Amino acid sequence: MSIANLLNGVAFGALLLILSSGLALIYGLRGVINFAHGALYMLGAYVAYQSVGALGFWGALVVAPLVVAVAGVALELGVFRPLEHRSHVEVGLVTFGLAMIIERVIVLIWGEDTLPVEGPGGLAGTVSVFGSGYPAYRLFIIATAAVMAVGLFVWLQRSRTGLHIRATSQDPEMAEILGVNVSRLSLLVMAVGGALAGVAGALAAPYFSVQPSMGQAILIPVLIVVVVGGVGSVGGAMTAALVLGIGQTLGNVWAPSVTVLLPYVLVIGVLLWRPTGIAGKRVV
Amino acid sequence: MTTFSPPTEADQDPVPSGRPGARRGPRVSRRAWRAAAVVAVFVIGLGLPVVVSNPYYLGIATDGAVLGILALSIGFLASRCGLISLGHTTFFGLAAYTFAISTTNWGWAPLVAALFAVLVGSAVGALVGAAIVRTPGIGFLVLTLAIGQAFYQLSVQTALRPLTGTYDGIPIIYADGQTMLGRDQADMGDASQFWPIAWTVLIGFVVVVTLVTRSRFGRTIEAVRENEERARFSGLNTFTPRLLAFMLSATGASVAGVLFALKANYVSPNVFSFVTAGDSVIAALVGGWTTAVGPVIGAVLYVFGQSELGATGNLQLFTGIALVVTIAFLRTGIVGALTSLWSLARRVLLTRRTR
Amino acid sequence: MNQAVLSADEVGVSYGGLRAVDGVSLTVAGGELHGVIGPNGAGKSTFMDALSGRCKLSAGSVSLGGEDVTGRSVQWRRRNGMSRSFQRTSVFPGLTVRDQLEFVADLTHETELDLVIEALGLGDFLDVTCSSISYGDQRSVDIAMALIGRPTVVLLDEPGAGLTKEESARMLDHIRGLCREREVAAVLVEHDVEGVFRVCDTITVLDRGVVIASGLPADVRADPQVISAYLGSEA
Repeated sequence: MSIANLLNGVAFGALLLILSSGLALIYGLRGVINFAHGALYMLGAYVAYQSVGALGFWGALVVAPLVVAVAGVALELGVFRPLEHRSHVEVGLVTFGLAMIIERVIVLIWGEDTLPVEGPGGLAGTVSVFGSGYPAYRLFIIATAAVMAVGLFVWLQRSRTGLHIRATSQDPEMAEILGVNVSRLSLLVMAVGGALAGVAGALAAPYFSVQPSMGQAILIPVLIVVVVGGVGSVGGAMTAALVLGIGQTLGNVWAPSVTVLLPYVLVIGVLLWRPTGIAGKRVV
Repeated sequence: MTTFSPPTEADQDPVPSGRPGARRGPRVSRRAWRAAAVVAVFVIGLGLPVVVSNPYYLGIATDGAVLGILALSIGFLASRCGLISLGHTTFFGLAAYTFAISTTNWGWAPLVAALFAVLVGSAVGALVGAAIVRTPGIGFLVLTLAIGQAFYQLSVQTALRPLTGTYDGIPIIYADGQTMLGRDQADMGDASQFWPIAWTVLIGFVVVVTLVTRSRFGRTIEAVRENEERARFSGLNTFTPRLLAFMLSATGASVAGVLFALKANYVSPNVFSFVTAGDSVIAALVGGWTTAVGPVIGAVLYVFGQSELGATGNLQLFTGIALVVTIAFLRTGIVGALTSLWSLARRVLLTRRTR
Repeated sequence: MNQAVLSADEVGVSYGGLRAVDGVSLTVAGGELHGVIGPNGAGKSTFMDALSGRCKLSAGSVSLGGEDVTGRSVQWRRRNGMSRSFQRTSVFPGLTVRDQLEFVADLTHETELDLVIEALGLGDFLDVTCSSISYGDQRSVDIAMALIGRPTVVLLDEPGAGLTKEESARMLDHIRGLCREREVAAVLVEHDVEGVFRVCDTITVLDRGVVIASGLPADVRADPQVISAYLGSEA
């Protein structure tokens, strides 16, 4: 097991962490699984691809989250709010359908080819980590995820909005009775969730390339991570993301045939043992 | 709490729940009429190849019938038990592969292989059901998805190439001179020859599902769907009815898988794919899964769409749109919408006549 | 007096460090209507959950007809004569009233469903879907389902909740009548204290999880601890 392999696992886990935090936030607040989250990630990557030419990578890293945040808000206003009185499963299925629509529209606009995105020039080289060279860009991904994780945590634990989000995730009825403006909160959470998906997509673009199957490919791991982590638990999702990322990448080195089943074994094992997920406060 | 509420107005519910012993007299002849209608539909349907000679449309009807069985299995579980499965491809694909492997790799007679494949799919259905049927809500959905995708991964693993052929799949080859129900292998791929088989099995499965839904057992699983806790507090062991319903559903999916393999003479990992899993659920939903015919109609439409749109690559786009439109506006699917239109038309006509 | 059909012996229920119910004992005989009252948070519903098997006991035992049933599932208890109704109406919304009553009747081998239907006045809307009838009528369905099958013990959790004073009083009278007629041992948790004093044979008062008084209505009414518990909590 080399350091490079381990760091690759952490990098993948880091991307998964950023993406799944957004999904966990939405799931915790609204109780709905946003099956369109993979499509949002894909949107972020394609928007990044589109903006890199004119604005460079750093510009793209700003534009992508903004655009996807707007998409998130559109989802809230166009889907979650009008369908508020429908069951969670029905709304989830609508997002499932939206994912199909969004992903196809993206391909109709940008085509079926895999699109390369150049990372920032400043991070093109390798950095020496414990004696071996490791791509600086991937370290950047890890660093960004760490910063986002800390930022998200501080926001959720220390700010008043964060408190409102946590309270509403635990008990939506109670929170509303106590005066929390749940609609405004939902709007904010959808924007933040979208932005996080956008960041993940933009960061992934130079690493994994931008291609039509990326939305679908990332959806299942993200779903598994959020469900394993537990309802309403952003921390749980983050932890599960790192575990899956590292576990899968390392496992691929040792025993690829078996490792490919890892996410499924993980979610099946966890859900059967603990239907709330590991850190969940409600039943999934 | 229901995850998916069937329509409550009597004139919108084409499959009313059964009430054993509630009424006598008129009910007996009503049953006879219904049975006669089913037989009539069956006989007429058998004659489809006579009326429709165009192999393209006949192919759609045949494939639609097979997918319809899968969709109905999913729809039955979703509407009667409130359990939505994104993993019925597990049984569909497992049965298809089992059939392919036992005929091609082991040289078994096709009929035996077919029955064995259904058995394997059903057995796995029982095991999976026993494990997951107690998990509530989204957890169940994610578990079914995970299991289905795990099988997909297994079907493409190079380590299993001798068995599965990984991405290339298995071209099915019957052992020398073997026939299936009097037809040799080439004929099975011919829609006009395959149609009677597909149609018979489809009608049979629709009848089974309808009878189960209207039986006392059907009422039991509806009660479990409506309020699982109260059902337990009424003395019911809720695990068993749910498991049995799941097993019926898994068996249906397995039968569909075998039929699929029979017609296509080829299986590939696509039978396990996420797209297949999602699309079969959508077909059932869009068709209208509160009825037995809804999912079949949805399946036929899907197969038609697949043929027309497959080349353009826009199938997923329209499938997604159909899903969103159905949930947002046509809550009981196409069948429900048509039934409402029919009731509306009847009402309008009746009021016109009485003026 | 008939033999004790239901008895709770030093029942305790704890959630983490919190003792919701502590050392509660009572016995109920066939035909006896035993009321359980107490201020908010006294642990009444938790006690009902403990008796019915909905939650696990951390101490004590529950006996049905002399047999210890503490470890038994809720299904088993129902099939062996212990039923309950729910504080938050728990019916089958999508089924018709007839269907759900017949469902329970099948499970409990009830042969005279019509009597229960009549007693609770459900005859008018048997073929209506449960979600379409009024809240009060849904409540009646909830209670009817607990009375089907000749249970020997019936636990009624705030049957009058959400009903008007008259509806609640009528409900309690119905229950009183049915219990006497069928020699059912009934435990009644209620907030309508006047109603409880009116219809019940014996009363237990809970406060903060423990029994502060128990016995005949007249005695309990005069008990200074009971008075202060109620007046104290209303302050």
